[in-house]
Amino acid sequence: MLGKLLKYEIKATSRTFLPMYALLIVFALLNKFFMAVNADYLRIPQIIAMSVFVVIIVGICVMTLIVTIQRFNKNLLTDEGYLSFTLPVKAHAHIDSKMIVSLMWSLLSVIVSFIAIFVMAVNEKTIQGIHEFLAQAVPAFNSLGASGYVILLEGIVLVIIATLGSIVTIYAAITIGNMSSKHKLLAGLGAYLGFGIIEQIVASVIITSFGGTFQRYFESLNRATMSAQIGAVQLVMLWMILYTLFFGALYYILTNWMLQRKLNLE
Amino acid sequence: MENILECQNLVKFFPGCLALNSVNLTVPRGKIVGLLGPNGSGKSTLIKLANGLITPTSGKILINGMEPGIETKKIVSYLPERTYLNDWMTVNNMIEFFCDFYENFNKQKAYEMLKKLGVDPAQRLKTMSKGTKEKVQLILVMSREAELYLLDEPIGGVDPAARDYILDTIIGNYNENASIIISTHLISDVEKILDGIIFINKGSIVLTSTVDDIREHENKSVDTLFREVFKC
Amino acid sequence: MWNLKSDRPIYSQLIEQIELMIVSGIYPAGAKLPSVRDLAGDASVNPNTMQRALAQLENDGLLFSQRTSGRFVTEDVEKIMKTKNSLAMGLINEFIENMSNLGYDRNQTISLIENTAEEEK
Repeated sequence: MLGKLLKYEIKATSRTFLPMYALLIVFALLNKFFMAVNADYLRIPQIIAMSVFVVIIVGICVMTLIVTIQRFNKNLLTDEGYLSFTLPVKAHAHIDSKMIVSLMWSLLSVIVSFIAIFVMAVNEKTIQGIHEFLAQAVPAFNSLGASGYVILLEGIVLVIIATLGSIVTIYAAITIGNMSSKHKLLAGLGAYLGFGIIEQIVASVIITSFGGTFQRYFESLNRATMSAQIGAVQLVMLWMILYTLFFGALYYILTNWMLQRKLNLE
Repeated sequence: MENILECQNLVKFFPGCLALNSVNLTVPRGKIVGLLGPNGSGKSTLIKLANGLITPTSGKILINGMEPGIETKKIVSYLPERTYLNDWMTVNNMIEFFCDFYENFNKQKAYEMLKKLGVDPAQRLKTMSKGTKEKVQLILVMSREAELYLLDEPIGGVDPAARDYILDTIIGNYNENASIIISTHLISDVEKILDGIIFINKGSIVLTSTVDDIREHENKSVDTLFREVFKC
Repeated sequence: MWNLKSDRPIYSQLIEQIELMIVSGIYPAGAKLPSVRDLAGDASVNPNTMQRALAQLENDGLLFSQRTSGRFVTEDVEKIMKTKNSLAMGLINEFIENMSNLGYDRNQTISLIENTAEEEK
C-alpha cells in the first residue's frame, strides 16, 4: 500500500517540479551560450537570462517547501482527507509516503541545481581547478582509511535524517494548527515556533549541564593523535544523528497520534 | 456476521457538544436504510464513526463484528456530502486510483455508469461542474462491491432525472449480502426504496421502523411523519 | 405504469397493481414475470418490498414460482377471472357509494349509466 501511496504522491508533485527543472536546464544552457558569445549587444538579454536563472533556483527551493506543506495539508486535512482516510491504509502510511517524496524532491532539487550550475560554469579553467582540487582531496581522504568512509556515510545519513526531521516538524505543526477552527494558519505557525523554542531550550539545557565536559573533551582533542581526532569526529556526528533522530521521532509520533485520534474533518 | 453494522452504547463527545448519546443500533445485511434527522442530529458523526474517521468516546461501533480499521475500510464504501476527489486528476485517473486501493472495485461497472450519465472519462475533475463531480463520486462509490455503503446526501446536488437514475442504480446494486445506509433530507424522493428508517435527533435514536409500518399505522408517508416529529 | 401513493403502504399498492396487470392481460395466464430485481427497478421500489408483495400473491394463488425458472402467473384461468370480478366489484361498490354521497340512489345511478352509454354510441 505504501508503494501505491508513493506512486500517487509522485504523480501529484512531479507536475510542479519537472517543468521547473526543465526550465532551469534551459536557462543554464542559454546562459552558457551568452557567456560563450560574450557580445556587447547581447548584454541586456544576458543579464536578464542570468537573473531568471537565479530566480528559478530560488523558486525551486521555495517550491519544495510549499509543496511539502501544501500536499500534507490539502490531501489529508481538507475535503480530500475524506478520501485519504477512508482508504484501507494505516494513518502513518500517509505520513511516510509524503515524507519520503518530499525528501526525494529536496535532494533532487539540490542535485539538479548543481548540475545546472556546473553545466553553465564548466570550461577549461574550471575543469582544471577541479582536477587540482581532486588531486589534493582524494589522497587526503584515502589517508583516513576506513574512517573516511564512515564519516562520509554518517554525513549522508545526517543529511537525510535532518531533512526528514525538518519535514515531519512541519507536518506536526500543520496538524496542531488544524485543530484550531478559525486560525489554522496562525496556530500552525505558532506551533512551529513553539517547537523551535522547545528545541532551543533542550539544547541550552544540555550545553549548560554538560558544558564543562564538552570543553574538557575538545581541549583534550587538541593534544590528541590524528586517529583520536578522527574518532572524535565520528562520535560527534553520531550524537548529532541521534539527537536529530530523537526529535524527528517525537514529531512523527505526535503527528501520527493526532491524525489517528484527533482528526476531525469539517 | 448477520448484522453488518452494530452500535453498542455508542457515545461521542466533542468539546461543547454531545454528538451521540449512548446509541444502540443494528443494521442487518441486505437492507436499504434511511438515516433521517435534522442538521446537527448526529447523523454525520455516526457515519464518520462507521468510517473510522473519528473514534468513539465510549461504547462500540462494529462493522461486520470488527472495530473500524483497515479491514472494515476494505468493505465499507463511503460517499461524503462534499466532493473529496483530487481535482487535478481525470476521471480515468480516479478509476485507476480506486482500482489500485480497493480490490473489490468493478471497473467495467464504473465505465458503464459513466457512459449512461454522459460523463467523459478523459475530463479533468477540476473543469467539471459540481453536479457532474457528484455524479462521478457516486459512480466510484457504487462501483465498489462493498458490504456496507454509507451515502451522505447522494441525490442532493443532482437534477431530478439524474436522481431517478441514481435511485435506480442503488436498487439495481442491491444484493442480500450488503446494506446501504442513506442519510438525506430528500425523504419523499427516497422513501420508496427504503426497507427501514431511523429517526435521529440530538444524538439519540427517536424511532426505528419500516416504511410500510409507518404508512400502515400512521396513514402518512415517512416524509409527512418526519415533518411532524421534527417540527421547528 | 406504476402509480404509488405516498400515504399507503407500498407493498399493498404493489399487490394491487400487479393484480391489475394480471387481470388486464399485461401478464396473462402462465406468463413469466420479470425478476424481483427488474420489477423493483421498474417500479423504483426496494427489492425486499417487491419480494414481499410477490410472496403474498403467491400465497393467494395468483402466482407460483419454480425453483430455477422464476415466477409465473397461475394457469388457473378461473382464479384470474375471480380476481378480476373481485376487483370489478370493488370498483363498482366504491362508485355506488360515491354516487350515494352525491345524492343519487341505486336506480337513479343505473339510469344515468344507461343514458351515458346510449350517448356514447
